[in-house]
Amino acid sequence: MLRQRAVQQSIRRLAAANLSTFNKTTSLAQLAPPVAIATGRHTQIRQAATQPTSPSDAYSILASQRLHRPVSPHLKIYRPQITWLLSGLNRITGSILSGGFYIFGAAYLVSPLFGWHLDTATLAAGFASWPLAAQLAAKMAVAFPFTFHGWNGIRHLIWDVGAALNNQQVIRTGWVVVGLTVVSSLALALL
Amino acid sequence: MRPALLRQGLLITTRKASVPKPSILRACPPAAIQPITSIVRQTPRVATFHTTSRRAILPAGPQVLEGTANDPAPVPKPSPTHGSYHWTFERALSLGLVPLTIAPFAYGSLNPVMDSVLVAALLLHSHVGFTSIIIDYIPNRNHPRARKLFEWLLRLGTLVVGIGFYEFETNDVGLTQGVKRIWKAGSTDKVIGSA
Repeated sequence: MLRQRAVQQSIRRLAAANLSTFNKTTSLAQLAPPVAIATGRHTQIRQAATQPTSPSDAYSILASQRLHRPVSPHLKIYRPQITWLLSGLNRITGSILSGGFYIFGAAYLVSPLFGWHLDTATLAAGFASWPLAAQLAAKMAVAFPFTFHGWNGIRHLIWDVGAALNNQQVIRTGWVVVGLTVVSSLALALL
Repeated sequence: MRPALLRQGLLITTRKASVPKPSILRACPPAAIQPITSIVRQTPRVATFHTTSRRAILPAGPQVLEGTANDPAPVPKPSPTHGSYHWTFERALSLGLVPLTIAPFAYGSLNPVMDSVLVAALLLHSHVGFTSIIIDYIPNRNHPRARKLFEWLLRLGTLVVGIGFYEFETNDVGLTQGVKRIWKAGSTDKVIGSA
């Protein structure tokens, strides 16, 4: 920067010292633009910062640039709305239910190897010995994902026939699912 | 200072010595000048333009670029197990689960055959769901080997769980009756005896 300015200032000083060369009254400066361009007087020279890059260099530069892009899921930038919150909850509850299903199925298969007692009679006897609050909490932990995924699954099946697909209807059915989930999961837990 | 200006300034200072330099340029020893390419690589050119803070849940995977921006999108190879048939199968499975889930609440529990059908449907529905999760979160373009690994782990898991539930269904009281037994264990002990 400093060097550029120094060169610029020295050119200005040169112009001030030799007025005849740079004066506007010079015959060359008064020529019509085509002639001025033809004689090379008004040619602009712009310093452009270019450098040759090989294809492999360009590839690695672009790849390293892309590493700086925001990574999805970038959840914090979205306003919480019932549409996408319930959509995410549908996958989370489904994963919880299926995860529990898979863990129990696999554990039941290997239980003889490790001497675990996973038959329902033993599990029921163990569950009966829990304090009431723990029983209610465990039942809610199962009943909430089960009822939510069930009701929201019916909502998905309604969408699949092409019904209730505009934004207002999606919001309304979303709140219906939330209401049904709260009532039915509490009812199941207190059963 | 803008990076473009910086690069221009550096370009001027790194010109070859054949051009006669003004004395002020000679003041800076050539060894102190950093190569342009390293400056370009070090400058975080994209991140500085974003105003929101970066909170990456997962770090970005390796960036794989295929072709150029002008290439057409590849047309996937047609397969009867993909697309609408697959979608219809998934919907049929979900639709079938609705009565299978309501029936135990209406009748108290399911008979062994229907209980096995429910378990099989739940297993397939879970497998389809887990497959969707793997497809969504392990992109084939960036992590082709991890994708294959998780797909095979899921297949193995589904097989193991399927055998486990076959054992459970043949040796125990069945899924619906078993859940009922545990669910009501706290309220009365009679359920265990009667089941």
